[in-house]
Amino acid sequence: MRSVYRVSTALIVLLSSGVAAAATDKSFERTVAAQPKGVVDISNVSGSIEVSGWDRQEVAVRAELDEDVERVDVTSAGDHTIIKVVLPQHGSRHGDARLHVQIPKGSELDVSAVSADLTATGVLGVQHLSTVSGDLSSELAGADVEAKSVSGDIKLKGHGEPARLRITSVSGDVHLEHGAGDLETSSVSGSLVISLDTAHSVRVRSTSGDLRFEGRLARDATFEVTSVSGDLNVRAPAAGGFVYEITTFSGDISNCFGAKAQRESEYGPGSKLSGSRGDGAGHVRLKTMSGDISLCDRD
Amino acid sequence: MASPQDPRPRVSALRDLPQSIEPARDLWPLIEARLKETAATPAARPPGRRVPLSWLAAAAMVAMLAVGMWIGRTLLPVTVPGGGAALHVSNGTPSLDPATVLDASYVSDPRYERQRAALLSSLQARLATMSPETRDKVLASLATIKKAKEDLEQALGKDPGNALLQELLVNTYQDEMRVLTDVREASDPGRGI
Repeated sequence: MRSVYRVSTALIVLLSSGVAAAATDKSFERTVAAQPKGVVDISNVSGSIEVSGWDRQEVAVRAELDEDVERVDVTSAGDHTIIKVVLPQHGSRHGDARLHVQIPKGSELDVSAVSADLTATGVLGVQHLSTVSGDLSSELAGADVEAKSVSGDIKLKGHGEPARLRITSVSGDVHLEHGAGDLETSSVSGSLVISLDTAHSVRVRSTSGDLRFEGRLARDATFEVTSVSGDLNVRAPAAGGFVYEITTFSGDISNCFGAKAQRESEYGPGSKLSGSRGDGAGHVRLKTMSGDISLCDRD
Repeated sequence: MASPQDPRPRVSALRDLPQSIEPARDLWPLIEARLKETAATPAARPPGRRVPLSWLAAAAMVAMLAVGMWIGRTLLPVTVPGGGAALHVSNGTPSLDPATVLDASYVSDPRYERQRAALLSSLQARLATMSPETRDKVLASLATIKKAKEDLEQALGKDPGNALLQELLVNTYQDEMRVLTDVREASDPGRGI
């Protein structure tokens, strides 16, 4: 009698789990051969995208798909691999697909998402990453990275290897840690929190988003930030020093080296602080309309 | 022009020039003496060639205006609809920052006006394809840009020649175009941003 109970209980558990799986997700798996330094192109509207680099010359795709998702296309031609989540032409445009993709670590990665969150780790090639409202997170590895978002947050973490970084956001916050090299970033209202181990050139623009920057400037580095109403807080020790020029129309200027800002004009608003630190090898220019500006060249 | 031997500091921007220059010595006594000397010998000038003071004043005005226009065209920022500034004097040679010249030309370019109008007219349709949360954030960002433009224009109204404000205004125009373009591309099926 006891064994009958056990068998029936096991059957019920098996049946119920199978029914549950069928009601929620479809799964998808496919592996294709790929070049070690090829291009991998991924697009997904909703859900998530996790990309990781590995040592194999293959692209492996594993996905859990909502019922609303029609299919996942994986095509490979030459050095180009394309992974595309396809939604029905007529009907829902918001079916979630949770993609887990492994690519040769030297690949160039090109990802486009709408509300899907994106995470990339261990990819050594160039990365072009874009989302609309999804959050974007990636590991930097010395190759150029372009990251774009409308309202999603962007989080990039490097290991101090120089690269060209281009980051743009509309309202999403930007967080860059241990980057290096050349940075160009802009945001309308998102905040910018940037740390660079060594910076050669930095160009930042914001409308109302605040900037907090910490980083060591290489000799002859250029550092330019403009903002309309965002506050700028810059801590940038520089090996060869720098010439600095800080101007604001109605904001306050402060610094850690005791220089005193001057009024731009006897008759109107505006203040300016300019001078030189160390050998004056680099150039620092900070400008705002109403945002406060703080500059320090100490660690 | 400053040469390597020239002790004068190198001027790289108009704002590097001094607001005023004090003469090495007081010139007024000499000027005063010359004026007295001229007043004492009125017959030296032929009667028909006397120039009324009002004409001298007008000529001085025209000369000042010409100098002002020359400064405005060569040294001061190029003013364009909606902003635009170029401000560089390098080694004594006035030159325009290429990026700023581009800014200036595109802001006044009818193609820019057309492109902006087209982007704005399609904005509603593009926003409709976005989730409510994203749509709200995009609208808030566009409102932030609009407010920034208004604030900058208001400040420029008080200080029209302010190069900083002009530069920030051009940046803000560019940011608006970037956001409108990003929104269009983000909602373009199969294209992404």
